[in-house]
Amino acid sequence: MDIAVRFDEVTVERGGISILDRVTATAPKGSCTAIIGPNGAGKTTLLLALLGEINYQGRIHLSGNGRAPRIGYVPQRLTFDRGMPLTVSEFLAMGFQKKPLWFGINTALRQQAREVLALVKAEHLVDRTIGALSGGELQRVLLALALRQEPDLLVLDEPSAGVDFQGELIFCELLDGLRRDRGFTLLMVSHDLATVTHHATHVICLNRKVAAEGPPRRTLTDENLTAIFGMHMGLVNSRSMPGDRTVCSAPCCQERTDG
Amino acid sequence: MVDLSPLYGLLAALLPFECLQARFMQQALVGLLLLAPMTAAMGIIVVNFRMSFFADAISHSAFAGVALGLLLALDPAWTMPAFGLLVGLGIMGMQRYSSLSSDTVIGVFFSALVAFGLAIVSRDRSLARDLQRFLYGDILTISDGQILALTGLFLALMTFQALSYNHLLYIGLNPTLARAHRVRVAVQQYLFAGLLALVVMFAVQAVGVLLVTALLIVPAAAARNFARSAGSMFWWALAISLSAAVAGLLLSAQDWARTATGATIILVACGWFALSMVVTALRREGPV
Repeated sequence: MDIAVRFDEVTVERGGISILDRVTATAPKGSCTAIIGPNGAGKTTLLLALLGEINYQGRIHLSGNGRAPRIGYVPQRLTFDRGMPLTVSEFLAMGFQKKPLWFGINTALRQQAREVLALVKAEHLVDRTIGALSGGELQRVLLALALRQEPDLLVLDEPSAGVDFQGELIFCELLDGLRRDRGFTLLMVSHDLATVTHHATHVICLNRKVAAEGPPRRTLTDENLTAIFGMHMGLVNSRSMPGDRTVCSAPCCQERTDG
Repeated sequence: MVDLSPLYGLLAALLPFECLQARFMQQALVGLLLLAPMTAAMGIIVVNFRMSFFADAISHSAFAGVALGLLLALDPAWTMPAFGLLVGLGIMGMQRYSSLSSDTVIGVFFSALVAFGLAIVSRDRSLARDLQRFLYGDILTISDGQILALTGLFLALMTFQALSYNHLLYIGLNPTLARAHRVRVAVQQYLFAGLLALVVMFAVQAVGVLLVTALLIVPAAAARNFARSAGSMFWWALAISLSAAVAGLLLSAQDWARTATGATIILVACGWFALSMVVTALRREGPV
């Protein structure tokens, strides 16, 4: 099995308090790996260590295809000044365009912005200001920005936060399709077990330490969930959607149902 | 020293106002034409980074910089910007490496700088006269040497802005996101802090410690209301800052006004801001 990310004895301490304790885990290449755990388990801290935002002991190996691996990052929420008149096309161009935005956006970059927005089904947002976007729309635009990096590894922090139920399912379906088409590895933090059981192909159960790791059906057992969440969770019935609908039509879910 | 007389003559011919025939007014105009675009461009990023308190702390280090020069028998014209630069980089470094909040870090620097300046002034009464000049500023006393230094800073800063404007907006939105997407956040932040410190030090001489933040913030704030994109916001801020600077200088020299130039410039800029609020309100009511 090829490995995209390997956490090797990663330890993070702040003010003498241990946040992550010798975390050793892997994300297989091309997988949708979910890091789950209760609040305060250190999930986001592990992502921040991966992104190089905080100091840690131990090692984190990232494998690229013979070059430094490219990361696309979708933060949990973007705290920004909503009065800022920054358009979505400017937002998608500003990391790539050398010419300052005062002189407009290159035609080629504008076209690329439209194309990547079409991938996340958000091409109608291209001329909107980012302050005028809803939570779900902003998340799609952030995903488009991450995809513009042509990532080897796409990192998502709580992809379902701030998005309504229907929007969440659409978002997850989108991600599944894109991962399969483009072949990147998806690493996401989630406390939403329904999302995980639907979409993850590999799960890391974290509560400061790694409690379990592996495919979701084998990992999300009653025993493991009780161990990390500290109460009886049981395996979440991921098909128990409102209105008796099997809403999720992502390829992986279909395969799982068929199988 | 380069002779700037032809430039002054050209300006006097282009703007045939009676008050602009005096040499000191021509010098002030050139100084403002260099300073206004710099404060406009930096102001956009200051607003985006929420760094107005940072700019305020730098401006309050002006007097301490001058006092330090006098204390060490060095030319205050050099110690003031050098001290401002050190303070700017110091605050940025501490913000990046300390777990304290940004406001707390700046607040500590701010207090130390003001206390240091006041302590030096209290030792030497003759310095107290200079204090007023720093509080209110005086662009009318700008020299040719200062104009040349300002020209150098203008070229450096506009080059930096042209190369970094897009990335600075990125960092202002979310530094983690920018870093993950391969933007060199630390280099850009230090360069920005250093150049901002130098601009603030020159702006202190023009409008004074009390109004220097306004010179950065007000045109950028008005531009945000007028603009519909980050690109056009730059041009709006430039137009507002330049028009406020020129109009403020001309108005302050009128016999019926005879007001402080720095304060008049800021009042004109605030007029622009009030107009921008009206435009925003009208846009909300219906398509404009």
